[in-house]
Amino acid sequence: MQLTYLEAIRQGIWEEMERDPTVFCLGEDIGIYGGAFKVTDGFIDRFGPERVIDTPIAESAIVGAAFGASLTGMRPVAEFQFMDFIACAMNQISNMVAKTHYLWGAPAPLVLRGPSGGYVHGGPFHSQNPEMWFVHNPGLKVICPATPYDAKGLIKAAIRDNNPCVFFEHKYLYRRIKEEVPAEDYVVPIGKARLARAGTDLSIITYAAMVHTALEAADILSQEGINLEILDLRTVSPLDREAIVQTVKKTNKVVILHEHSRTGGLAGEIAAIINEEAFDELDGPIIRIAGLDSAIPFSPPQEHHYLPKVEDVVRESRRLKAY
Amino acid sequence: MGNKKAKSKAGNNGNRSRNGATRTAVNHGGTAAPGRSVERSSPGSPNHHLRSYEIRDYRLERPEFSVHQLTEKDIQGREHVRYQVSGDFDAPVPPIRDSKFLSKQQAVEIYRYMLLNRKMEIALENLYKQGKVVGGVYFGLGQEACSCASAYALDKDDWFAPMIRNQGALLVRGFGARDTMMQYMAKADSPTKGRDGTSHFGDIEKRNMISPISMLGDLIPVLSGVALGARLQGRNVAAMTWIGDGGQSTGVTYEGINFAAVQNLGLVLVVESNLWAYSTPSNMQYRCQDLAERAIGYGIPGVIVDGTDSCQVYDAAREAVERAHRGEGPTLIEAKMMRMKGHAIHDAATYVPKEMLDFWKKRDPLARFENYLVKEKKWLTAKENETLVAEVEQVIDAEREIAVNSPMPTPESAEGGVFCENGCHEIKPKYGTPNVKKGTASYKETEAAVHLK
Repeated sequence: MQLTYLEAIRQGIWEEMERDPTVFCLGEDIGIYGGAFKVTDGFIDRFGPERVIDTPIAESAIVGAAFGASLTGMRPVAEFQFMDFIACAMNQISNMVAKTHYLWGAPAPLVLRGPSGGYVHGGPFHSQNPEMWFVHNPGLKVICPATPYDAKGLIKAAIRDNNPCVFFEHKYLYRRIKEEVPAEDYVVPIGKARLARAGTDLSIITYAAMVHTALEAADILSQEGINLEILDLRTVSPLDREAIVQTVKKTNKVVILHEHSRTGGLAGEIAAIINEEAFDELDGPIIRIAGLDSAIPFSPPQEHHYLPKVEDVVRESRRLKAY
Repeated sequence: MGNKKAKSKAGNNGNRSRNGATRTAVNHGGTAAPGRSVERSSPGSPNHHLRSYEIRDYRLERPEFSVHQLTEKDIQGREHVRYQVSGDFDAPVPPIRDSKFLSKQQAVEIYRYMLLNRKMEIALENLYKQGKVVGGVYFGLGQEACSCASAYALDKDDWFAPMIRNQGALLVRGFGARDTMMQYMAKADSPTKGRDGTSHFGDIEKRNMISPISMLGDLIPVLSGVALGARLQGRNVAAMTWIGDGGQSTGVTYEGINFAAVQNLGLVLVVESNLWAYSTPSNMQYRCQDLAERAIGYGIPGVIVDGTDSCQVYDAAREAVERAHRGEGPTLIEAKMMRMKGHAIHDAATYVPKEMLDFWKKRDPLARFENYLVKEKKWLTAKENETLVAEVEQVIDAEREIAVNSPMPTPESAEGGVFCENGCHEIKPKYGTPNVKKGTASYKETEAAVHLK
């Protein structure tokens, strides 16, 4: 079955609601309207207003209520209309949800999901990639799928996981990519990376929409005889350290590519892991390609300038290959 | 626990009504709250444009104090700012209002919990002075009636989440004084095994308690969510938490109460109007006369009680709990009293005008309730009271010994437990698998209504 990235997520949540009566959805405009991006379109007709709850515009209440319900053994799936707005619920997530199992041993099986990412001219408050806020909060699993297959398998895994999962859906990918997704039930394990392209010359370590940017660059570079390996992390917390080390050992050269701002970004963390575990394997400097250290600007030429591009990957890969 | 009532089932999720001969509509009365009518003065009357709302006030006295910042010059002519209070400080102490619900045995039991609460905190103060406490100690002095009588109104399956001055609520709900004491001493056997202090612990298996966090108001949407989760499992539970007159200033307080209101969830929120938020007086936190008035804006019942009167606190809490059990939604209870110590043990609270302290000292909730039980109602003889006090002291002594003798945690015990993994917890619905109804609509691909292209 050919599914878009969005349809895959829809199907994943739908199937989990069919399978498990403790799963329910809450969020803004997710009921009759079906969500700003229509991820829960038709859910209210099937599962009823009791399980598909339209909430006030109150992100702290959404997270708080999801957390409280999870403590009674429910598995809430809370939608953020845009992941930018998750900032409004930061205290609930950081101080309540993330710390609860470590501090007092209460599992909180909830999913916080929503669209993130740029390339759609959404401006500074509808384009952010705030995953690092959560990576720095031990106790949360942070998931960023790049393909329909992974999106479906990972949303199902997140709903079944006994821990709070923050699930970033890249809105640029929602309807732009399509692939064959099996009709039968499957999950993709959280915390495991995927080799998106096997190669020999250098490794691009990335995730979400940037996987496709890297793949495009790989096609261009293959004509020059540069053979990229692309590691799709799929989960940014916990990181698949083993897969990172493995690809470094194979190609000995690394480019880390992400959409969010460079400073304090995931690339710094991955570079540190490589230093700790595979320093002797490196044949060149670790290169970072990332968003600028600013807010994401609105106007298309400015947004284009801010965000990583295929030509950035091509240029930096050539430079590293030649090192 | 309080009055035992048959457990209520979650409200019928809809009144079926026929619309013509062919269509059936279902009103989802169990989810969103129904709209309510507003009382208006009759048409034609000069006040016909006015709407009226009710706030029930159960108090037998209504003290009104006004606290101002006053700038004065000292002998050297340097300016200093202090708090000045005005009001009637000589009013006589009112009697305890007889409870509509409490039996003699229940009243005595609440009194015993209040004694335990008071004596536990005295023991904690002593442990602090002996250098055995890590960090500070927080007290609920003057608020024991509010903590104990409200929690006593909960049934076994109800939920609660205490704030820092509700250590008495933990005792009512079955925790030992040792639990709180070990938390303060950061011991290995404390409920959080040393990972957090004070009353910051919880138990979702037996005692239905959610751990507080230090940020104020965040428990309110969480308790709303507990009521939501239980309702999805077919049970209307009461979910009680507390918030101070300072804490209610936070935005999440609004979000949490409003969520419970629109979803008609059994939140029982006790607003502890204790006049001081650390060093800030209540009239610098809010402008309305009484915080119970906030309930009007939420569209839920609001009640005022004397927080130093155990019977008033219990009755208001019990009514709110029963409302929750009937699926009628949240209640806001404002309990008026004063925090009788500083914010924590380090704070001598010299900013509090002495007249205020003296006024509320005469309204000590424990002394008032003791007087009520021994002298007014004669439910306890002086001898029985003495025996009870001695028994409580013995309990606290024994609990303290156990707590003090618990070892400190090993350094390595800081590690692990970040995630629920390897089957460390089984997750299952607390009140049984939700009985889900499914519509006839089947899965269909969504139309491409793209928000951002």
